[in-house]
Amino acid sequence: MTEIDPEQNVAPGEPHSNILSETTAYVIGLALALGLTAVSFWVASTSSLWGPGVAVGLVVLAIAQMGVHLVFFLHITSGPDNTNNVLALAFGVLVVFLVMIGTIWIMGHMNDNMMPGPEITNLQMQH
Amino acid sequence: MLGKLSWDAIPFHDPIPLITSLVVILAVLGIGIWVWRKGYWPALYHGYITSTDHKKIGIMYIVLALLMLVRGFADAIMMRLQQSLAIGASQGYLPPEHYNQIFSAHGTIMIFFVAMPFVIGFMNFVVPLQLGVRDVAFPTMNNVSFWLTASGALLINLSLFIGEFARTGWLAYPPLSELEFSPGVGVDYYLVALQISGVGTVLTAVNFVTTILKTRAPGMSYLRMPVFCWTSLAANLIILAAFPVLTVTLALLMLDRYMGFHFFTNDGGGNSMLYMNLIWVWGHPEVYILVLPAFGIYSEVAATFSGKPLFGYRSMVFATMVICIVSLMVWLHHFFTMGAGANINAIFGIASMIIGIPTGVKIYNWLFTMYGGRVRFTVPMYYLIGFMLTFVGGGLTGVLLAIPPVDFVVHNSLFLVAHFHHVIIGGVVFALMAGYTYWFPKAFGFTLDERLGKMIFWCWFIGFHLAFMPLYVLGLWGGTRRMQHISDPSWAPWLNVALLGAVIIGVGIVLTVVQLLYSIKTREQRLDVTGDPWDGRTLEWLTLSPPPHYNFAVLPDVHGEEAYWIRKQTAIKQDALIDEPDYQPIEMPIDTPTGVICAFFASLCGFAVIWHIWWLAILGLVGAFAVFVWYAWQDEHEHIIPVEEVRANARERRRIRMEHLHSLSQST
Ligand code: HEM
Ligand SMILES: [Cu+2]
Repeated sequence: MTEIDPEQNVAPGEPHSNILSETTAYVIGLALALGLTAVSFWVASTSSLWGPGVAVGLVVLAIAQMGVHLVFFLHITSGPDNTNNVLALAFGVLVVFLVMIGTIWIMGHMNDNMMPGPEITNLQMQH
Repeated sequence: MLGKLSWDAIPFHDPIPLITSLVVILAVLGIGIWVWRKGYWPALYHGYITSTDHKKIGIMYIVLALLMLVRGFADAIMMRLQQSLAIGASQGYLPPEHYNQIFSAHGTIMIFFVAMPFVIGFMNFVVPLQLGVRDVAFPTMNNVSFWLTASGALLINLSLFIGEFARTGWLAYPPLSELEFSPGVGVDYYLVALQISGVGTVLTAVNFVTTILKTRAPGMSYLRMPVFCWTSLAANLIILAAFPVLTVTLALLMLDRYMGFHFFTNDGGGNSMLYMNLIWVWGHPEVYILVLPAFGIYSEVAATFSGKPLFGYRSMVFATMVICIVSLMVWLHHFFTMGAGANINAIFGIASMIIGIPTGVKIYNWLFTMYGGRVRFTVPMYYLIGFMLTFVGGGLTGVLLAIPPVDFVVHNSLFLVAHFHHVIIGGVVFALMAGYTYWFPKAFGFTLDERLGKMIFWCWFIGFHLAFMPLYVLGLWGGTRRMQHISDPSWAPWLNVALLGAVIIGVGIVLTVVQLLYSIKTREQRLDVTGDPWDGRTLEWLTLSPPPHYNFAVLPDVHGEEAYWIRKQTAIKQDALIDEPDYQPIEMPIDTPTGVICAFFASLCGFAVIWHIWWLAILGLVGAFAVFVWYAWQDEHEHIIPVEEVRANARERRRIRMEHLHSLSQST
């Protein structure tokens, strides 16, 4: 059995005991975040991808971006003593989910029911 | 130079606001001079204004709430008077543009500057004491939160003297609140005041969620926390979830009004329905932010005055957390009639009714707490029983309103007005009055006069029913809300009963002032020497009244639910206190004027934004920021209370407690 070096055995985002490894973690986070941003710009502007795939790709990249921020900058980890942070995150995600999905759902129906349909707004048809 | 501000903004030709302004200005000056002449100024400045003590901040919140209650009530009685006078041929004494400002101001002030600061005041005063700790997690931020709330209140009241208030109702629905239809500064007063106080509220929530999750006395596990702490936790979680939505919604409306955006306008692709949706994403949870801590107060009162542990403590905690989540999923019931369609209406209607279940659980828990207990019919207990009788009715009309087809009939009617006052007065205001009576001795060292307290209760109880039951009837007859004139003379008797009810509530409010003055005057007769005047069960009754700045000389060790009750019973059984612990010097946060100065600049900035005085707005912003920078550069944030002082105070407390203990054991 090999001894595990406690210095190396920390989850990303957990506080490190020395400045150097802490800085390294932030730099890794920064690099990942910038990389994901660059890729998003590339996905949005290139024509070499299948059209509908672009949106999906952007969503995936956005979620990955959130993950990087949470782990490297906001220090959400699965380590012990982190239950509160994880619960807070879960609560936040739940709220955002409820508000966004609820609003999109409600406003979609409102638009269908309340907005004049295309037959009415299309002036060319109204001779 | 002064933007839209000119002498026209002062209401020289309107006697009502003009006289009110003069009276208020004279009163403020008078009190200021009195404080100064009596030499109370340093005590006020160091003891309260700059204090980082959660108890002092809590008291300031409650004073603010009581002052604003007077203002909100003045608006209410003016509306009642107008509706009793302006029937048939008569137009009453308030022209529509004035009446519309009054109901908007009443609603806004009652919710944001009466109910909210009252509830937050109790959380401040009680939660750290009940958790057995010395302060909140971020004491300076706590002071800043209070002053930002006060800044919002100041701006709203300023609108009476300089300019006008919104005529849009308390939620400022567009398109009416857009520049096109509300070109004056009224809506801007509304928006800016709520934005500033909203920052204070969110900071409070951050503070209390952290305090409750991270700083509890040793042994105070989650399932040993008093119910008031649980309901405060839930309320603050809801604030964290909901208030940012309000901030964003109001910010979008500000963009529309200030920078020509088109989020909610009629033209340019705007959609005002999105505003209704977003504002209620905040608005429904808001009522639970108010009522959950109220439920917490009732729980403390029920257990204490029944002399029994709270029935179903765990189900209470569970019900609270269920309400906390479900309250975020029902907002559409405020606009069933807007046209989302049958499916959506049905789903949100059912979700709304589901909230009735955990609430019902709570009612049964309080009933069973009283059942078989030795109930002492004190003033807080009157409010608890009055609440249960009243709230069940208000809850029932709420379930009725949650049925979409019913809501299509009574939406925006006086039936709705009756319903929400039913739950807010019967649920929240009764709890606040109960809490005021219950915790007053802890704050000031003597109890309030009991006889006047009961009279105040009866004024609220009878006055409420007289003032609002008639509105249910009128609502079912088709009476809509926000009417400056009543065309059907047959409504007059009902409106007059409502006016009588409001007058009786007014008597109750006057008696509250009388009770306070009388109780101060005769306090020697009702001193709370032991720190435990009600035979309490939670940790705030462990320390003396009023508690020392640091609350507890040593943090109490908690061995079960009802931390203080267990300790007290053990002491009575053994006829001895626990061994004298090893006292340590205590580190406490120092006072700081950061909060007031920051709020001063925030008010300046807010006022400038309202009147389009851009240089002043920038000045205010820079000033507020500079205060923070200045504060961050301070090296000293704490001072040490020497161990001798701590020990001396603690020994004095132990001596009092020993005497009390002997008198108890002699009487048994
Ligand atoms: C003290 C006794 C009270 C009386 C006599 C009273 C009376 C009134 C009246 C007459 C209205 C206008 C109804 C209409 O539209 O025709 C009103 C509206 C309202 N009240 Fe009260 N009220 C009282 C307490 C409260 C309290 C304690 C709160 C909340 C904490 C509150 C919140 C509101 C709100 C939000 C509105 C709606 C304003 C609007 O239409 O935009 N009221 N009240
Ligand atoms: Cu609601």
